Amino acid sequence: MAVFLQSLISGILIGGVYALIGIGLTLIFGVMRVVNFAHGDIMMVGMYLTYLLFTLLGVDPFVSVLISFPLMFFFGGFLQKVFINRVLNAVAQNQILLTIGLGLIMSNTVMLIFTSDYKILTTSYSSSTIQVGGGVSISTPLLISFLITAAITAVLGWFLLKTDTGQAIRATAQDREAAQLMGINVSRMSVIAFGLGAALAGTAGALISPTYYIFPQVGGTFTLKAFVITVLGGMGSVVGATLGGILIGVTESMSAVYISSGWKDVVVFVLFLLVLLFKPSGLMGKSRT
Amino acid sequence: MTKTILKAVVGLILLAALLVVPRYVESPYALHMMILLFLSVSQGQSWNILGGYAGQYSVGHAAYFGVGAYTTMMLMHSKQVVPWVGVWVGVAIVIVVALVIGSICFRLRGPYFVLASIAVAEIMRLSAINLTTLTNGAEGILATEIPAFKIGERVITDFLTKVPFYYIGLFLALLTIGITYWVQHSKLGYYFQAIREDQDAAHSLGIHITIYKNIGLVISAVLTSLAGAFYGIYVGFVDPPTVLGLDVSVQIMLICIIGGMGTIWGPVLGSLLLVPLSEALRSNMITEGLVKVGLVSADSRVGLFLKENLAHAHVLLYGILVVLVILFMPEGLMGFLKKLAPRRNREAV
Repeated sequence: MAVFLQSLISGILIGGVYALIGIGLTLIFGVMRVVNFAHGDIMMVGMYLTYLLFTLLGVDPFVSVLISFPLMFFFGGFLQKVFINRVLNAVAQNQILLTIGLGLIMSNTVMLIFTSDYKILTTSYSSSTIQVGGGVSISTPLLISFLITAAITAVLGWFLLKTDTGQAIRATAQDREAAQLMGINVSRMSVIAFGLGAALAGTAGALISPTYYIFPQVGGTFTLKAFVITVLGGMGSVVGATLGGILIGVTESMSAVYISSGWKDVVVFVLFLLVLLFKPSGLMGKSRT
Repeated sequence: MTKTILKAVVGLILLAALLVVPRYVESPYALHMMILLFLSVSQGQSWNILGGYAGQYSVGHAAYFGVGAYTTMMLMHSKQVVPWVGVWVGVAIVIVVALVIGSICFRLRGPYFVLASIAVAEIMRLSAINLTTLTNGAEGILATEIPAFKIGERVITDFLTKVPFYYIGLFLALLTIGITYWVQHSKLGYYFQAIREDQDAAHSLGIHITIYKNIGLVISAVLTSLAGAFYGIYVGFVDPPTVLGLDVSVQIMLICIIGGMGTIWGPVLGSLLLVPLSEALRSNMITEGLVKVGLVSADSRVGLFLKENLAHAHVLLYGILVVLVILFMPEGLMGFLKKLAPRRNREAV
């Protein structure tokens, strides 16, 4: 029972970070209908940014979110303006290829600068835990990152629901042309949405850097996981992405405990294929065309 | 009419030249480059049939490449099955895998199909890592001793030089080009292109889209697995990242996309560009060239940096190329050349 609870809790905690990556991807897809294959690589850039801030300036990884969020926002806005914007009306395949290309450029540039060595960010609390009782313990960095994730998600929800810009973004996602007719500057909304997506991915990178290896190719796995999460939750749905993230986190940690850690990603991908087969509109079930 | 004859003559001369190359070229390095080129052409061409003609962008072709390579290598290494038999076991397995993947993935369209194809290839890669008793896990399989190929008592080749590999590679490249040519000029090819252009219209015209997509996938997968088996035997080593990684899928695609999808010569053109470029980077030729010309001195910081890092930069190059191609010539090099051609004719008039 303790093992079950333990893996459930750590699954939920890591799921929070996955949710952040998934929300970023789903936001970009919702507003631009572009599937961003560079998403994991953007997260990787966030990890290296955190690593640099930590090693050069001694900024705590969790505090560095305050710096990396705006930086990654501008990075995302730049990507949208210079590259993605040109293929908004191209066929889906070309959009996918472009983002794959951008991802390759990011991971290989980082590899040229930092080499492909695994880097570890060791903080004073990296391996500390909090005992909850009943033999269950919670990893401190995972707990902190979960709390930050929850706070960011709440602020993002408020932003999307209550502010004018947020409503304009949602309107663009709902119907690009109608939004434009209503006087919404859709190209600006696209830049903001891509910026936010990149900032969320970068933040997720910062949050997992105390507990995860940092290396240039780390992005690939996360891109795939981000897709699994968004497809599970229904493409374009922020709430769905949050639930999808937690579901994937729990699935992973459960299968690592009850099957084997080598097979945990296989379980996730099989789950993904099953969802694609039987409920392609996602578990939240809102089908959109 | 004269144009077709001219084309046929040029083709035959080229073919004859390719056939006699090993008689006159002794440098193993040059032969190695040609073998890589043939491998790349057959990879790109196999993908072209499904991606270029039928319009199904698989980003999971590493699955077929890897299964072909692994099956042949595993059978040779642990069961002493000769590769020219093992290859067909690989093909049989790949057909089964392709049909399973097809029945799952072809119910999906657009980005969903791309995602599903990646997921399947990743499942294969992770399985190769985890099924250690079969595949030797992450360490991979090293098997360089290929038994001599005999007909009766006569030894045809003992695989000790690169020459037999040259001819197998050439055969494979010609085979894939030939099959693509046949696909393009057959009813099957027209069905594929109809599906690519408008799936719903094709369906309403009575084309059974799922069946034809699966036919395209099986042809493409079998050819890819042959290329995989050839790669495995030639290099003598397979491990999960080099034959099953996502990079492999992307590289297979890029050959075709950079050259021009849905054209016979696109993958050839793509290979002619990509293989020498990435080889030049890998072998540090570019840095040496820059040093020779005098742009960078060999022991300056820039020179040392380039020397150390450019060797790993060929994937970066792929990334830059694909971004440039998508932004500036989405039809690939072939499309770009075709656009240039009429302009030149106009000027001539």
